[in-house]
Amino acid sequence: MSFISASSVKYRYEDSEKNALNGVTLKVNKGEFVALLGHNGCGKSTMAKTLNALIIPDEGMIYVDGMDTADDEVTYEIRRNVGLVLQNPDNQLVASIIEEDVAFGPENLGVEPGEIRKRVDTALKTVGMYDYRTHAPHKLSGGQKQRVAIAGILAMQPSCVVFDEPTAMLDPNGREEVMRTIKTLKKKGITIVLITHYMDEAVLADRVIVMEKGEILTQGEPEKVFSQVNLLKKHSLDVPQSTELAYKLIGAGLRFSKMPLNVQECIELLEGALS
Amino acid sequence: MIRDVALGQFIPGKGIVHRTDPRVKIILLIAFITLIFCAFNFVSLAVVTAGIITTLALSEVSFKLYFKSLKVIIFIVIITSVLNMFYGTGDPIWQFGILKLTMSGIYRAVFVSIRIVLLILISSCLTFTTSPTDLTDAIERLMKPLKVFHIKVHEIAMMMTIALRFVPTLLEETDKIMSAQKARGADMDSGGLIKKVKAMTPVLIPLFVSAFRRAYDLAMAMECRCYQGGDGRTRMKTLHIKKLDVFCIIFAALILAGVVLCDIFITPII
Repeated sequence: MSFISASSVKYRYEDSEKNALNGVTLKVNKGEFVALLGHNGCGKSTMAKTLNALIIPDEGMIYVDGMDTADDEVTYEIRRNVGLVLQNPDNQLVASIIEEDVAFGPENLGVEPGEIRKRVDTALKTVGMYDYRTHAPHKLSGGQKQRVAIAGILAMQPSCVVFDEPTAMLDPNGREEVMRTIKTLKKKGITIVLITHYMDEAVLADRVIVMEKGEILTQGEPEKVFSQVNLLKKHSLDVPQSTELAYKLIGAGLRFSKMPLNVQECIELLEGALS
Repeated sequence: MIRDVALGQFIPGKGIVHRTDPRVKIILLIAFITLIFCAFNFVSLAVVTAGIITTLALSEVSFKLYFKSLKVIIFIVIITSVLNMFYGTGDPIWQFGILKLTMSGIYRAVFVSIRIVLLILISSCLTFTTSPTDLTDAIERLMKPLKVFHIKVHEIAMMMTIALRFVPTLLEETDKIMSAQKARGADMDSGGLIKKVKAMTPVLIPLFVSAFRRAYDLAMAMECRCYQGGDGRTRMKTLHIKKLDVFCIIFAALILAGVVLCDIFITPII
């Protein structure tokens, strides 16, 4: 059985006329890295909130590790198991000392003090912020703050982390740091759902899901999804730069064996096509 | 410029006073304040003063900082002591209309000013040597028994923690908004007081809006991290009474005994 399974989920915000989610069905397997793409207002952030029971769907069901998110009794078990990292790193940190902030989650879960200490140290080491454990959050850079926020989630020992545009407010360095951390988590076997509008981040995923107007437009491996350049362009979505270049060259008559997703692939394919 | 405002004047250190349990420090502060107002003659006042000076000396914080904290209240000291001077009873030494200067009035004035100065010194000693997080932590633990009266101790402590966490963030934001408004031609530095206060409106409104947005985000982040109030919550850092804390308590008890004895055996002056 899949780790997360959502079936025809519908949800409408109170003050809105349209459904934010209009029948989304998706599955995420254990250990998978899924990227969720789409415009602002396409429902991807709403989807993220349904995964850890912050939002309960009006229609349809979401099961996380066999638990129904609509069941009040397992709400906190779901939230522990599916961590959510938000966009603004500043607004996620609760305490004025890094290690105390990371301890916030396990403290809420009622974990023993000695065990909390261990979890905090492990989490901070995983994100590479152990040396900053006694610092104050406001003295860190955006990328560092976001990594601390990730550590705060990791300290709850979740099996899945949902990232809601974690790099949107960061500079290129910070983005790089956060993406590296996400790759580390993936290696540790943690299921990852990454919501983003940077195509370069989406290509790192095992599977890409594109959302549009509260529905799933298309999904599949990054190569498959991004080779549908026409479809994505029609919905004014971007494709990775190298894919776009290849697409234009194909339009000009060049032949490629497949669509490139990053610069390296693009160079190799170009060399092949030109020789 | 706005960041220069000293907030929570904690001075990091590893001295004896720094290492003392924050709960003990708060209780001893309360004890000292009570003692200051229980000293009714010069001898007991001298005992309290000696105790406080010793504490300050042990705090490993430079006396310059203590003097700085006194600067702020120098006017209050002068005004209250002048007022007290003319409130005494007994034979006037000097009289001008209804103003009567008496010996007891002068004693009163001296006592009041010494008391205020001691009060400020010992309170600054607490804030200088205890980090804000330790303080809120200690307050939460000390206030725990108040739960019986349905006082939401955990919630109060949580609010203090969050407030402390966001003070620097909001200060930074204020700076940014001020620059943004100045870039749009806002004039914040000229004019009288009223004009300056009015000029702050375009800064305060965006600041409030953003603070509310942050609050909303933070609430969501806290829910994501399974926050369900104080029930069933554990803490990573537990506080234990150490040998050092016991010594501090003994030290304070000795001074307490000294003051009480002096009060009993020496006739009160005021």
